[in-house]
Amino acid sequence: MNPGWLLCIAATGMVVGMFSAFRAPRLWLLTSLTGAIAALASAIWILKTGARWDWQSSVAIGGEALHLQLDALSAFFLALLAVLGGVGSLYQRGYWTDKTHPRSAPSGRAWWNAMLLNMGFVLLVANGLHFLIAWELFTVCAYFLITRERQHREVRQAGWLYLAASHAGTLCLFAFFAWLAARTGSWELGPMRDRTELAPLFWLALFGFGLKAGMFPLHIWLPSAHANAPSHVSAILSGVAIKMGIYGLVRFSSWMPVPDAAGWTVATLGVVSAVLGVAFALGQHDLKRLLAYHSVENIGIILIGLGFAMVATAHGNAAWGQLALAGGLLHVWNHGLFKALLFLGAGSVLHTTGTREMSRFGGLWRAMPWTASLFTLGAVAISGLPPLNGFVSEWLVFLGLFDAVSARGPAAWTAVPAAVLLGVTGALALACFVKVCGVVFLGLPRSKVAEQAHECGWTMRLPMLVLGAACVAIGLAPVLFWPAIASASSAWQPLWTDSAPPAPMQTLGAFHITIAALAMLAAIGLWLRVKRNGLSRAVTWDCGYAVPTPRMQYTAGSFAGIITGWFSWILKPKRHQHPVKENFPAHASYEEHTPETVLEHVVEPTGSVVMRISTAVRRLQHGRLQAYILYLLIGLAALALLALMGGAK
Amino acid sequence: MIATFEVLLRLLVWLLLAPLLPGIINKVKAWVAGRRGPPVLQLYFDLAKLWRKGVVLSTAVSPGHIAGVAVAWVSLVCAAMLLPAGPSGAPLAFRGDALLFVYLLALARFCTASAALDTGSAFEGMGAAREVSYAVLGEAAIITALLTLGLQSGSVSLTTMLAPAAGAGAALLAAGLFAVLLAENCRVPFDDPNTHLELTMIHEVMVLDHSGPPLAAILHGASLKLLMFSVLLAEAVLPIGKLSPPAAAAALAGSVLTVTVGIGLVESLLARLAFRRVPLLLTTAFLLCLFALLVAWKGGHL
Repeated sequence: MNPGWLLCIAATGMVVGMFSAFRAPRLWLLTSLTGAIAALASAIWILKTGARWDWQSSVAIGGEALHLQLDALSAFFLALLAVLGGVGSLYQRGYWTDKTHPRSAPSGRAWWNAMLLNMGFVLLVANGLHFLIAWELFTVCAYFLITRERQHREVRQAGWLYLAASHAGTLCLFAFFAWLAARTGSWELGPMRDRTELAPLFWLALFGFGLKAGMFPLHIWLPSAHANAPSHVSAILSGVAIKMGIYGLVRFSSWMPVPDAAGWTVATLGVVSAVLGVAFALGQHDLKRLLAYHSVENIGIILIGLGFAMVATAHGNAAWGQLALAGGLLHVWNHGLFKALLFLGAGSVLHTTGTREMSRFGGLWRAMPWTASLFTLGAVAISGLPPLNGFVSEWLVFLGLFDAVSARGPAAWTAVPAAVLLGVTGALALACFVKVCGVVFLGLPRSKVAEQAHECGWTMRLPMLVLGAACVAIGLAPVLFWPAIASASSAWQPLWTDSAPPAPMQTLGAFHITIAALAMLAAIGLWLRVKRNGLSRAVTWDCGYAVPTPRMQYTAGSFAGIITGWFSWILKPKRHQHPVKENFPAHASYEEHTPETVLEHVVEPTGSVVMRISTAVRRLQHGRLQAYILYLLIGLAALALLALMGGAK
Repeated sequence: MIATFEVLLRLLVWLLLAPLLPGIINKVKAWVAGRRGPPVLQLYFDLAKLWRKGVVLSTAVSPGHIAGVAVAWVSLVCAAMLLPAGPSGAPLAFRGDALLFVYLLALARFCTASAALDTGSAFEGMGAAREVSYAVLGEAAIITALLTLGLQSGSVSLTTMLAPAAGAGAALLAAGLFAVLLAENCRVPFDDPNTHLELTMIHEVMVLDHSGPPLAAILHGASLKLLMFSVLLAEAVLPIGKLSPPAAAAALAGSVLTVTVGIGLVESLLARLAFRRVPLLLTTAFLLCLFALLVAWKGGHL
């Protein structure tokens, strides 16, 4: 068994699954899971040995011979794809069933497998043309998955925005690959760091891949697409699909020469994405939209790591660059795991309540203890708190930044604001997830749907358990995952061949285990003590008010109000209110929502200007033949004039 | 075996000394106001009493309400284990522990704020919202302070970072850290630990629905946090690593006492700020730390 055969099994599994999706859902699940496990095995193989699998075929697609390769960098992303693809397949068995969605479920399964397969190909191909084909196919598959509920106008709009934005990105990538092929004379991709004249092409790649990754301000498509897709699709979009953009950036920043300013630009965009992503998330009241904005934030953290690694390579391969890259790469995995967990948790809530509106939830822990605890686990992880995985990757990025500051080089000037703002991002994410957990799962139910909620089935709980266990595992034993990161980072920069972790990950892991054990002991001890002393129940203290109602609880908007106030210059929240005026008020209301600022204030105005110009130009084309002949005459006269005036040579 | 014993001994010292600080602060406040005030050991008596008391839990809360308190207390204790207490360093020191320290405090914050929302009370929601919001600015200031210390010592481990004196920017760093200490520990002018009006509180309002042993854990955790911040402030300024052990211990004890008395004086002489002014003061604390960083930067070249 070598990686090639495993990949073959994976691809076969996905293709068979695609065809059995309509008639034999059980066979579909079996083949998809087999495929995912085979892909995971091949990725682990490569990551463990650090070897590279290469396969040249004589089969030509589009006139180019098929060339597949799996190196540690591809394998790193393939492992994430396999894990999330597998758990997502299982989850949709319980979430998007033939019974509840008779029309969209079977084709949804087929599109699911098609998307997984094409994302796999994006990671494997070593040919620019094939990369574009696979990229486009996976983008289109994602469109069909996002628009499962096409009957809703909102979903159609989200899908349309996704498609339009993705194609703007693909256009850039098309230019990038075509240009690259024209300059190098071949569509074959591979290391070409010494050809410095190719460096400016990086900007095209940054736009194309950055748009897919959802980096600020190119994230406009992301919130609505993630919010309106079925939750298992949101999980894979956020967990893997946007990471394809990161993969592109990582891959081509390693193979190609980059301009001097590239590292700084990527790091700056990362910082901006991180802070503004979480600020926008705080302003949201739609559970899945909120999680979507956190993807922007986490992509920002990954980009900070990648950006500083690029800066380090430009400055003599400083050792802190490896730390930053390791942090960024580990965050790719971590974000994939905990964000998928959170989206699946949100899916379970949506499944039982039928709404994503956070102001209607509350007290869901009673009905859904599993979902509530696993979601809270994910929330702790995404806030970057010890002892879970989110902290480990943020810690590595932080260490890189601290070392960059201590080195007092030119990089230090940017590392200071990056480190401070990364800390701010962490605190903001914490605020946001206290809000989510508190408003959705704690307190008292705010509506009928929240009172009548029920726990999801095992097919939906098991995937969340797997993801939660992975978050805990990376948190408690980070050193076990170090070989994978080391292989991937030495594939990115061959000079970084250190196989020993540059940071005391073993000690950190031991400390995390201690914290976890002590916390558990303390909780049990405190609970026993409380039991022994005697426990009685009473209503919550509300300043002596005897009959508190659930409507008096703090809402998501009021909780985030202080921070959204600080960011109102960019969030531009919209408020509709009827304030209390008379002495005996009969009616008062307050409503607030935060639209997508870049979309509303930049893209839409630009779009309408373009439309207005086009409409004006269209007046020239009215179908009157006489006028067309006049245009011809004017054109000819102008040409003649040009020729007579001395243009003729 | 001896190492384990030593860790346990240090743990005991941290745990036992912590409740002394609020007592000293209250004594200072009483002295300034011309009262006799509660005994210095009052918090010890309170804790002992609370530990034996029964518990009234809100009907709304989840089992996480009590577990959260335990996790918050454990994370504060673990953070204390990373902080060097005097010349012999911390029980556990490794590269990057400074960041772990900051994030352990954040974990405690996550737990207390979530437990506040657990009760479904609007007042506790307010307190939690204020706590997590102002912590954003506090975090910026602490990270900047750590960057300053890291730049001076070339290390990311608290034991090494806190060993030398803060150098030329010491006054700036001390002022910045002192403001962060007041904010993070909910003292005047950010919050008033003695107020009885729920609408204007931050920390105290979050714990309204706790009672008995969990409340004891919260009060003890809060005093431990105060002690940690005082020690951090003292060691950031003092060249603790360069003194002989007895001198270092004396200097540390003396400066922690000074900080505590300082808090008491601030509390007696200043009024609580309006909430809209709190971000301004915290931003000032951040700027002070940032200037300390710039001074440390230049200091390296002189």
